[in-house]
Order: sequence, then structure tokens, then C-alpha cells
Amino acid sequence: MANIAAQRIRREFKEVIKSEEVAKCAIKVELLNDSYTELKGEITGPPDTAYEGGTFVLEIKVPETYPFNPPKVRFITKIWHPNISSVTGAICLDILKDQWAAAMTLRTVLLSLQALLSAAEPDDPQDAVVAKQFKENIEMFQMTARHWTNVYAGGPHVNKECDDKIKRLVDMGVEEHQARVALSSYNWDIERATEQLFS
Amino acid sequence: MSSNTTENAKHSAEHPDGDGAGATDEDKKDDRMFECNICLDTARDAVVSMCGHLFCWPCLHQWLETRPNRQVCPVCKAAISKEKVIPLYGRGSTKQEDPREKVPPRPAGQRTEPEPGSTFPGFGFGGDNGFHMSFGIGAFPFGFFTSTFNFGDARPSPAPRGTQQHMEEQFLSKLFLWLAVLFIAWLILA
Ligand SMILES: [Zn+2]
Ligand SMILES: [Zn+2]
Repeated sequence: MANIAAQRIRREFKEVIKSEEVAKCAIKVELLNDSYTELKGEITGPPDTAYEGGTFVLEIKVPETYPFNPPKVRFITKIWHPNISSVTGAICLDILKDQWAAAMTLRTVLLSLQALLSAAEPDDPQDAVVAKQFKENIEMFQMTARHWTNVYAGGPHVNKECDDKIKRLVDMGVEEHQARVALSSYNWDIERATEQLFS
Repeated sequence: MSSNTTENAKHSAEHPDGDGAGATDEDKKDDRMFECNICLDTARDAVVSMCGHLFCWPCLHQWLETRPNRQVCPVCKAAISKEKVIPLYGRGSTKQEDPREKVPPRPAGQRTEPEPGSTFPGFGFGGDNGFHMSFGIGAFPFGFFTSTFNFGDARPSPAPRGTQQHMEEQFLSKLFLWLAVLFIAWLILA
């Protein structure tokens, strides 16, 4: 019974490769081993969002009980989103938990994740800091998410102001990503970020 | 713009212009109609849910087993149950047996419906009960027999053969044996 998982991934894999979304370069799947248990996914940031123009890499692990249980998915590319941990890339999405259904496929999972990037659910957060910013200051959130997309996912929008603030902290001896996290978490208030980093 | 081109592509796929390649695509489409929604293979021991979704019975059975508290259609998430799926018999199938009987149903004694709220305590209680019952029936007559046959041993010395006392003892032990047999018979019949 264990190889129903491998057999299904093999079929799905062929199907995804031929799908319309792959033709449009919206999603992509790659096999990482011969046993069909580990895959690399890729989704592009949806248009008209802060993630537009970015490419986000996902780690997909297929359990032996697939498709009766969902695949384990997390973001490898760092992302600023209320339902995705900015630290671990862990995702809070119902279909990857109790709302999973056996007829869902890698394709529907990737498309659902893309939809999650368009429509965040801050009331069911994975990253409390990001969710708070999303609810209290949506412009600040958009700017931060766009900046992260630029730095980590190859998005086109360079934010000079953000880069300068990070450089100031880096010059003080702070590691770049750490500086970005601190500034993002404190609405780019360099004094509060410094305070937190050196306390 | 882009949605327009997609529409055109779909349109031409649905109406192939009659050449060889188009016909093959159409055939493939027909095959896929009979694929199980879980294993994506041609459905074997096919069943269809009330919402119209096709599965292999073994696949659907495993899905229902995986989530006993949330029995929903794997495709449309409508409520489904084992009793409300319809087996499909094609012309090719020789034996028209209900595929639902192929996967052995769970043993009846262990299939007590969970009481609302708590699934496990109810199950455990039922199991315990059965165990105690069989243990009681098995052990009781054994103790009875032992005490019957040991009746004489309790005395300092058994009475010599042929005496009145010996006859009485034989009679008593036979009586107890018969009582024991009757008691067991009563237990079984009751
Ligand atoms: Zn199947
Ligand atoms: Zn259905």
C-alpha cells in the first residue's frame, strides 16, 4: 500500500508538467529523489500583490500515507506574510491540515499557496508579528513584503530607504538578515530596532 | 488579453478539427472520465458517491478509515458514508458482487458507534465487558469441577471401597457433577 504514494506522485508529476499553469510559468515542480518522497516546488508571486515578480521556492515532503494525508510543505524562500513564518517558512493553511482531501494534488496545493499570497488571513496567523503589522498598518506591511520579495525572491522593487537602514545596522556589526527582521518587526523604526538588537 | 487566448485554446481543444492528433486527445479525455479520484488510475471495484464522484472502493475505504470523524467526499467535501455509495457494474465484470464486501468490514464487536463527544472510552468499555464475560464462563465450571473431585480429599482418610460410606460419597460426587453440568447448560442456554 505504501507505493500508492509514489505511483500517484509519478502521475501527478506528469500532469503538472503538462498543465496550463506551468506553461504560463506560474508553478513548477521538480523531483529531488527517485523515491518520489521529496520535491521542490516553485510559485510566482501573484500579480497586483506585494509578491509580484518574485519566485518562491517550496520544500515538499510526501508522506507514505499520501494522498490520504497531505504533503508537508514549507517555504524555503524567506517571505513576509501573516500566514507564513518569517523564521521557519512554516505555513498555516487549512488544506495542509484538517481540510485536506484525498483528491487534491500537488498542483492544487501550489495554486492554493499562490491564492494565499493574494489573500492573507491575518485572523489565523502563523507569524504573529507580521499579522499584527498587517492589521494595524497595511501600507507598512505592503512595503515590507515588497522589500522581502525584492531581496529574497528576486522581485523588481528596490527600496532604497530600507536598504540604507539595513546598511546602517550592518555597519554597526549586525548580520544583514537579523537587521532586516528587526527593522521589519519595528515598522522600520531604526532606533527601536537598534534597541532590540543591542539589549 | 491573456484570458482571451486561453478561451480560444480551450475552444479548439473541445472541437478538434478531425485530424489524428485531435482524435487521440479526445480518447484520452474519455479514459480520464473513469479514473479514480484518489489514485488517479482507472477505477477498480468502482463505486460512485451520492455527489457523483468516482473512486476505487479500496481507495475510498481507506480515505473513510483515515478520517473516521470527518466523512467527506475527497473531491467536493459533501458528506458521504459507506452505506450511501453505489457500486458500478460494467459489462466486462463477470462477477456482480458488491465491491464493498471485498474489503472486510471491521469486526462487528469492535464497531460500536462512538458516543457523541468521546470516541475512545466507549470503545474500551465495550471490549472490557466482553473479556470479563468469557473469562467468567471459562473459569467458573473449572473451579466447580475441582471442588467436586477434591471432595474426598478434605477428609482425613477415604472410606474403604464397598462400604455404605463409600457408596454415599460416590453418589454425592456424581450428584455434584450433574449439578455442575446442569449449571453450565443453564448458563449457556440463558
Ligand atoms: Zn483508486
Ligand atoms: Zn463529491
